[in-house]
Amino acid sequence: MVGTVSLSTKNREQKSELRTGNALLGLLPIAAGLGIATLMHFFLPGLIGQFYARIVTDIGITIVLAVSLNIVNGMTGQFSIGHAGFMTLGGYTAATITYYGSMFLWDSAGKHGGFLGSGEWLFIASCVAGGLFAAFAGYIVGLPSLRLRGDYLAIVTLGFGEIVRVILQQTGKTIDDVEDFKNAGWAQLIPPPVGGAVGFDGVPKYTNLFWVYAVLTITIVVAYRLKGSSLGRAMISVREDEIAAQAMGVNISRQKVLAFVMAAFFAGVAGGLFAHERGVIISPKDAGFQRSFDYVIMTVLGGRGSITGVTLAAVLLTALPEMLRDFEQYRLIVYALLLIFMMLVRPQGLLGIHEIWNFWQRPKSSVKSASPEAQV
Amino acid sequence: MSPPATTSSAVQSADALLDVDQIGISFGGLKAVQNFSLKLPRSGLFGLIGPNGAGKTTVFNLLTGVYRPDCGQIRLGSTQLGRGKPHEITAAGIARTFQNIRLFPNLTVLDNVRLAGQLRNSRGLLDTVLRTRGYHQEENGLREKALNLLEIFELQDRAEELASNLSYGHQRKLEIIRALATDPKVLLLDEPAAGLNPQEKRMLAHSIQQIRDRFQVAVLLIEHDMPLVMEICERIVVLDHGVTICEGVPSEIQNDPRVIAAYLGGGLEEN
Ligand SMILES: Nc1ncnc2c1ncn2[C@@H]1O[C@H](COP(=O)(O)OP(=O)(O)O)[C@@H](O)[C@H]1O
Ligand SMILES: [Mg+2]
Repeated sequence: MVGTVSLSTKNREQKSELRTGNALLGLLPIAAGLGIATLMHFFLPGLIGQFYARIVTDIGITIVLAVSLNIVNGMTGQFSIGHAGFMTLGGYTAATITYYGSMFLWDSAGKHGGFLGSGEWLFIASCVAGGLFAAFAGYIVGLPSLRLRGDYLAIVTLGFGEIVRVILQQTGKTIDDVEDFKNAGWAQLIPPPVGGAVGFDGVPKYTNLFWVYAVLTITIVVAYRLKGSSLGRAMISVREDEIAAQAMGVNISRQKVLAFVMAAFFAGVAGGLFAHERGVIISPKDAGFQRSFDYVIMTVLGGRGSITGVTLAAVLLTALPEMLRDFEQYRLIVYALLLIFMMLVRPQGLLGIHEIWNFWQRPKSSVKSASPEAQV
Repeated sequence: MSPPATTSSAVQSADALLDVDQIGISFGGLKAVQNFSLKLPRSGLFGLIGPNGAGKTTVFNLLTGVYRPDCGQIRLGSTQLGRGKPHEITAAGIARTFQNIRLFPNLTVLDNVRLAGQLRNSRGLLDTVLRTRGYHQEENGLREKALNLLEIFELQDRAEELASNLSYGHQRKLEIIRALATDPKVLLLDEPAAGLNPQEKRMLAHSIQQIRDRFQVAVLLIEHDMPLVMEICERIVVLDHGVTICEGVPSEIQNDPRVIAAYLGGGLEEN
């Protein structure tokens, strides 16, 4: 063992490379992502066909959900199993805005305008509104996380998803006639008629590869920049050791609530994309436990706080069921087994706390601590 | 039990940096700490000793807001700390290490220090996400400051390693560096020499004094190693069963019958 503390008197000269800020440079990754999204939108369906393009769309939405959940479960170390609740809340909010908004503006709930046309702008604005509404719910749900730990917090988030499901089931039939809508009084519009248990049918299907991968780009850039920043370190310190984090000046309450709000925001936006996807009728059961569980599995499988790991897991777990026709009926069994297997063999997830590229960099020397157990 | 004995001296001035007045806490029926008072001057180096279970760590937990005192006052400089949250107390200027090491094991050595250095960082979510100029300036500053500290303690070569991969001695060292990174006025060290060999202990004793001088902090040290405490501390407070049984300069403590009795009764871990 080396000497414990010996103070060196020399002062280090500044030698680490300094990164300077440049607003344009900061926007580069987003611009690149938007470029790729545009290319995908115009060329991918032609290359791989509508069926696979649809899967790629699903994958994009799922990645947004898994990566955002990872801010809470992976980085901050809380355990939320109500992520689908936030998604569905955002989805219904966005769908309500486009459906009735289109009737109000254009006298029809159908699609309006082409690529980047006015209809699409209404759509993406509604997704953001859905995200904000979900973020507000995230704030409310995040508050108990200040007092509750582990299992108890999990139950609160689970309860939240179920509450969203039950409330949405109680809503009225959608109004599908423009005249009826325009003549409807407030009593018929509050609470919004969004289809009840059968789901919200007739939502204009605006979601396309461009918007999904634009949102995905922003989600990943935000998550990645968060992870490498002071703010992200503060979140990770909450996961690592709450007592020590506080002792180092981290306001752990603020970090936890911020994590919940951010995760819920992106889940809400993803819900908006989902609600407007072709072939999808968003329904109350989407808020339920099963869907939340899917996202939890992706974060567990991918690794705590590893954005690339979770992305990989989201791709695998979305693509596989689509490829294997009969998989759906065994899905829950396979997931449960997978989870148990991972817990036994690799509890830290596929990539652990690392990002994919960490594995190519020079290996860190992993001298095991030769220490006795710390006394208490 | 004998009443708290305070030997007055010139060190106990009214303008003490840390002024602890009659704090106490009970856990259920157990009075873990009672009527604890302390006046720690600027750049003072005081010891807090007592047998296992005497309530030393509990005093640290009270001072840092981990526990809320049932009664009493804590003042730091001109700030009344009252019943602040732990992170607020750290920001006010009291930093600590933990008896059972509490590093962030999956963060690198550098990140452990950076995290502690960022508590007065003002950059919000928007700056972080947009990577503004201000954000980069602040992050660069944090990085430099952390690397400087690591260099002072000769841990800069391990900056990119995970904290959990450090040797036990280095982990103890990193705990101290991390506490210093919060720019404290008062540094609370909870058994920093535990588990170290005699030679390491000697170096530690030397560097605690150096830390006090170089970083201009007042130090309150919990330590079982009597020769070490006697050598470096200006004054010593002795706790037993949560009660201050004696306070004074080392020579007074050494010969106090109450201290000897407490240690003989409680089982002294002196070497
Ligand atoms: N959170 C707690 N709940 C109940 N008892 C506690 C708690 N913290 C400390 N104690 C008790 O207070 C007493 C003093 O503990 P501690 O301050 O850790 O002693 P020391 O650090 O002097 O060895 C012990 O009897 C311990 O069991
Ligand atoms: Mg102790």
